[in-house]
Amino acid sequence: MSPTSLRGLLALSVVALAVAVSACGSSKNGSGADDASTAHKRGGSLTIARIEDSQSFDKTNVFQNESIWLLEQIHESLYTVDKDGKTLKPWLALSYAKSSDGLTYTFKLRPGVKFSDGKPMTSADVKFSIDDARKQAKGWGYLDAAIKSISAPDPETVVFNLKYRWAPFLADIALFSNGIIPENFGGESRKQFYEHPVGTGPFMWDKREVGKSVTFKRNPNYWQKGKPYLDSVTWTFVSEDNTRELQLRGNQIQVDEFPPFNAIKKLQNTPDVKMALFPSTRTDYLEMNESYKPLADVHVRRAISYAIDRQAIVKSVLFGNGQAANSFLPPQVPFYAKDSPGIQYDIAKAKAELAQSAYPKGFKVEMLVGSGAQTENQIGQIMQQALKPLGIQITFRQEDTSTEFSDIQARKYALGFCYWTMDIADPDELVTFAIDSKAGGAESFYTGYENPDVVALSHKAQHDEDIDSRAQLYKQIQDMTAQDAFLGYLYYSPFRYAYRDNVKGFFVYPLGNYHLEDVSLG
Amino acid sequence: MSLPAYVARRILALVPIALGVSILVFLLIHLIPGDPARTILGNKATPEKIALLHHEWGLDRSLPVQYAKFMERLVHGDLGTSLFYNVGAGGLVIDKLPVTLFLITFGGLLALVIAIPLAALAAVRRDRASDHVIRAVPLVGLGFPPFWVGIVLLLVFALHLGRLFPVGGYGEGFPEHARSLFLPALTVALSIAPILIRSLRAALLEVLESDYITTARAKGLTERRVLLRHGLRNAIISTVAVLGVNIAFLVGNTVIVEQVFDLPGLGQLMINSIFQRDFTVVQAVTLAFAVLVVLVYLLTDVVHALLDPRVRF
Repeated sequence: MSPTSLRGLLALSVVALAVAVSACGSSKNGSGADDASTAHKRGGSLTIARIEDSQSFDKTNVFQNESIWLLEQIHESLYTVDKDGKTLKPWLALSYAKSSDGLTYTFKLRPGVKFSDGKPMTSADVKFSIDDARKQAKGWGYLDAAIKSISAPDPETVVFNLKYRWAPFLADIALFSNGIIPENFGGESRKQFYEHPVGTGPFMWDKREVGKSVTFKRNPNYWQKGKPYLDSVTWTFVSEDNTRELQLRGNQIQVDEFPPFNAIKKLQNTPDVKMALFPSTRTDYLEMNESYKPLADVHVRRAISYAIDRQAIVKSVLFGNGQAANSFLPPQVPFYAKDSPGIQYDIAKAKAELAQSAYPKGFKVEMLVGSGAQTENQIGQIMQQALKPLGIQITFRQEDTSTEFSDIQARKYALGFCYWTMDIADPDELVTFAIDSKAGGAESFYTGYENPDVVALSHKAQHDEDIDSRAQLYKQIQDMTAQDAFLGYLYYSPFRYAYRDNVKGFFVYPLGNYHLEDVSLG
Repeated sequence: MSLPAYVARRILALVPIALGVSILVFLLIHLIPGDPARTILGNKATPEKIALLHHEWGLDRSLPVQYAKFMERLVHGDLGTSLFYNVGAGGLVIDKLPVTLFLITFGGLLALVIAIPLAALAAVRRDRASDHVIRAVPLVGLGFPPFWVGIVLLLVFALHLGRLFPVGGYGEGFPEHARSLFLPALTVALSIAPILIRSLRAALLEVLESDYITTARAKGLTERRVLLRHGLRNAIISTVAVLGVNIAFLVGNTVIVEQVFDLPGLGQLMINSIFQRDFTVVQAVTLAFAVLVVLVYLLTDVVHALLDPRVRF
């Protein structure tokens, strides 16, 4: 055989193989964006690719956003949060009446609501659902702690009796864990039911391949006439940022959830793709563990907080896509105090505070950062530079994210990072978690911070149903905690979604949920 | 010893290997910090909720007791329940195994398809320009991480050149699987081909200088027949051994390749389970990998024996 023909053989064999394999199944896809049409076209399937896989669909015991945002397509609550993240609007209920002592809430249910299996929703289902949710000790039951009992006097009326006046009640009722399911799990066991849950939402369970994808299909019995527009929605799990972006460009997926900050600009300039930034309730914090002695000194904590150049962090780490934080509450939560000054970047004040502390010459401190977490490493370096002139020397300890998270929670750290996203349209959940070391169950956001005055104010706010005086209380809480500098408030950042421009009506609410019944493919 | 007896003995040897691997993995995963309960509860974790989950999973028992429970289940063929997903860990492994097996086989075959003609060409044109190119270029390629190669292949063949292949994913049905797996398999193949080319070229050169090749040529056989019938057939024996020895490397590469190409295989399951501290799944996947590697070594030996009748056990 001559060398030339050998080379030919080689080229031929590789090409033939490539062609054969590529020809094997070149159907599907390709014809994604065909004819553009009017407002909302019916039909089509949407695929959303995410960095994490869903963990569980038991709404009462799951804490992972990547599960919650999906199951909200199946389960709906009596009230829901509006687009501003603050207003509550009637959903499966039409209205409610509150007794003058504030202890009894009577809800009128929306008539004509059916579960996806065709059975009508009644007050018995509502009672069963919320009674089950509030029983869950390792789940969300604690947010329903104010409820004493629930009764269902007639099929369209549900009555809640409370143990005490409870201002966040309506916000708590709107929580996904209080979503409505059929009484007695429709005759199944609890575990069986949540393997393929049934609800009143726009979509119903289709299939799940653990570690790969989850698919929901249209609920033909949905109470909002004409909705949903889509036939089905599939959520895939694609851990690689680059792969999700390429899949979006190839129209293999229509929504890329959370592209990294450094890809935003590129995606804004990608043809046929929209890069959307939705205001969120995500707030990022610098954690300061008070069991590390210097950090128990309020002047030290203030000094560190003054030394955080939040604008620089937003500019260089978030590529301008964020906002410096002035409070531990995000702007999208009720009673957020815009005019609470918080602690902002001021090196002179940082020096003055440190001089007043027990450590005027500074000290050494270790910062825990996630080994793959680019933003944390960058912020750490910015802070290391800023604190050096003050004599505060930061050293880094890198851990993989699970170890990092466990160490923060177990308070095995000195400086570290953490963030929060809201679950309800009320500050109470976050305030209790962040400052009420006993009731919050997390030693004040894993810092060990204790200020009985602030705790007393928050307890007062829980039971005060007057909007103005409640606002006043939360303003005081925000001012006082900022001066205590128990956390370094870093920044507020948006939810980042890139999607094909034929996706219509896609909107992410500040709590992170989205109403896919409003989405269509043009 | 006969071949079947040898195979039987090797399969029996799997038991202590699997046992050893299971103890090692069990200890390692429990030694590293991180807590699956905290992963699941997120920042809503309270000591009470963590304790409830630990109790449910038996993580509040001592390590030896936990290991004994693990072995007890294993003997009954039960790999335990995934802490993260709350489904059977064995079922998860069985779901993901075909993807990884397909990828490794496809990648191995592609590596041979690339390596054999190139090595033959290099051997025939020894010390000429094409020989040097064939030896040098893939070696440089060896320096590129499969992660990067995968992204480039996706960009070129799945986006810019008219979407010949899907951008990752596994598709539905065998033809789609094959189409989806071509680029990942090529990435795997490119990572191992340089080693195969070099070993096969060396083996070919040695064979082509041996007496029986001279005899074959003297008998007037065509050069093609000499090369394919007598040369390659004998030289390839060593390449099969090299491929077999490198299978662990290949399995390691699939972990990365599965991430880049969004393939729901064992590698991806392994990585995610480690991040989630899903102890039972990590144990199950590691066991599967250990068994897989041992079986591939065995297969290599058997193929070697079939190709080379001189091999005795």
